[in-house]
Amino acid sequence: MAPVIDIKNITKEFKVLNRREGLAGSIKDLFSRDYKIVKAVDNITMSIEQGEIVGYLGPNGAGKSTTIKMMTGVLEPTSGEILVNGKLPYKNRSKNAQNIGVVFGQRSQLWWALPLVESFKLLKDIYQISDEQYDSMMKLYQSLVDIEPLLHKPVRQMSLGQRTLSDILAAFLHDPKIVFLDEPTIGLDVSMKAKIRTLIHALNKEKNTTVILTTHDMGDVDALCRRIVIIDKGKMLYDNDISHLKGFFGSYRTLKIRVDGDLRKESEVIAKEFPALKVGADEEWISVLVDEEKISVMDVLTKLQKERRIRDMQLEEISTEDVIKKIYEEGVE
Amino acid sequence: MNPKKYLTLTRMGIMESLQFRMSTVIIFVGNLLYLIVVYFLWKAIYASSGQEVVNGMTFSDTLIYLVLATALFNFMEMYTVWQIGRAIQSGSIVLYLLKPMEIRRYIFMEYSGNFIVNFFATLFPTFIVVNIVTHGAVPLGLNLLYFVVSVVIAVMINYNIDFFVGTICLYTESIWGINIMKQVIVLLLSGATIPLAFFPESIRNIVNWLPFQSIYNTPLTLLLGKTADIKDVAVILGTQLFWFLATYAVSKLFWKISLPQITVNGG
Repeated sequence: MAPVIDIKNITKEFKVLNRREGLAGSIKDLFSRDYKIVKAVDNITMSIEQGEIVGYLGPNGAGKSTTIKMMTGVLEPTSGEILVNGKLPYKNRSKNAQNIGVVFGQRSQLWWALPLVESFKLLKDIYQISDEQYDSMMKLYQSLVDIEPLLHKPVRQMSLGQRTLSDILAAFLHDPKIVFLDEPTIGLDVSMKAKIRTLIHALNKEKNTTVILTTHDMGDVDALCRRIVIIDKGKMLYDNDISHLKGFFGSYRTLKIRVDGDLRKESEVIAKEFPALKVGADEEWISVLVDEEKISVMDVLTKLQKERRIRDMQLEEISTEDVIKKIYEEGVE
Repeated sequence: MNPKKYLTLTRMGIMESLQFRMSTVIIFVGNLLYLIVVYFLWKAIYASSGQEVVNGMTFSDTLIYLVLATALFNFMEMYTVWQIGRAIQSGSIVLYLLKPMEIRRYIFMEYSGNFIVNFFATLFPTFIVVNIVTHGAVPLGLNLLYFVVSVVIAVMINYNIDFFVGTICLYTESIWGINIMKQVIVLLLSGATIPLAFFPESIRNIVNWLPFQSIYNTPLTLLLGKTADIKDVAVILGTQLFWFLATYAVSKLFWKISLPQITVNGG
């Protein structure tokens, strides 16, 4: 089957005016023709299949939104090929709109003053959704979240969480092939985040909708995505399964122990015992970073135990967050 | 083309504007104050001229004209410049671009419900009140039909101009100054603030060749029944229609060539 989104070597350049400092500079800027070219997206290639949930990650200003805008057809790439549902999105924006749904974090497409159900009815008419499809969608929504009380509430009286939830439901209403979610859980409390993740997951399963998710919350990524794409400064850094990601830096785990006596002195002793490992200490714990490809955590623990009494211990997996942070900071070797 | 797709937006607009009852009251009070100012201003103008008839209009002619012009302004003003400008500044223009409907139509239909509410809230009551107070200054005949047709075209010319000016915000990224400029030009040159009869001959000649007089002067002239001859009416409406087509073409073209500001240079 052909991929729903097929991107080959796309690049997007923006012309930005070189601004000068100060009042005199601002006045000079009025007449300036001194532009510089900024590459927001630089030679990115990827293809996404129907039904995938792809986490699209990158630090602020990495070029995520620019890529998403190109996929939706709002921006035209400077060079390269982009096909969404087999068509050029920027040439067929209105038609393409029928096949995509979008949720942009803090921007709502709902009618502020009216109850939610009115916005849904509007979407039903402008996307020309049949009565049967609309009813079945409503039934599905009702089975996933308690939508009934929300439907009759004016949108402006909703909490941020309820509004985001409603916006996501609105984006899925016309059963699009692809839904773009741009930071859907931003500013939400833990329980609402969990609710929204469950909802997205269920909608993706039920409707086989492709979901492109940009987020800074690794919780979203862990809960939803099997595949992640990371970009920074417009360049693609990583595109693979999330499980590969951890292997990327070796299979590191952090062993934390607490012993009697001065932790800092003890940690120096341990460092001498295991010259290959990184050992550190703080007020509460001595932490040993173990690369399991070289030595198992159990071996380290056994050796440590022979010399001293361990009063408490913890084992920490390296988190997605740590890995991503490492990639943002150091890049991929 | 599916009319339901568009009419649903009209329906939403009616419902939404009914939510804001207070704003109707405030607009009403604001207009009343404006009309009081207009009344005393023109009273002073007529008093200082020392004549009953100035530029072919009596004091009550002028006042009736201006009261109806104000009602028409409240009926027609769509604040499209603000809406487009703000959408551009905040980036929510993207949401409009991603609707399965052309943005010009979408924004127009989104507002269209307000026309219906405004008609019953301001235009129609003003008309009744004016006619009662003046014991029938506005003739009730074919002129009403001409007026309705003319207002429909005027609304669309006004929208085309607004959309054109809103598009300028893509380049300037500021709204306030541009909107004020548009408002002053349109209200002055269309005859909404001063009847065109009061303009000096030379300026009037220029204004006659501009689209603005089609917005206020044309429908009001037809309403007040100054043109009874069907041939004259046809010429007037024809001119209006021409201006609709011209402004439509220009504003559409301008949007088309400006859109790359977003799609090529980013929002």
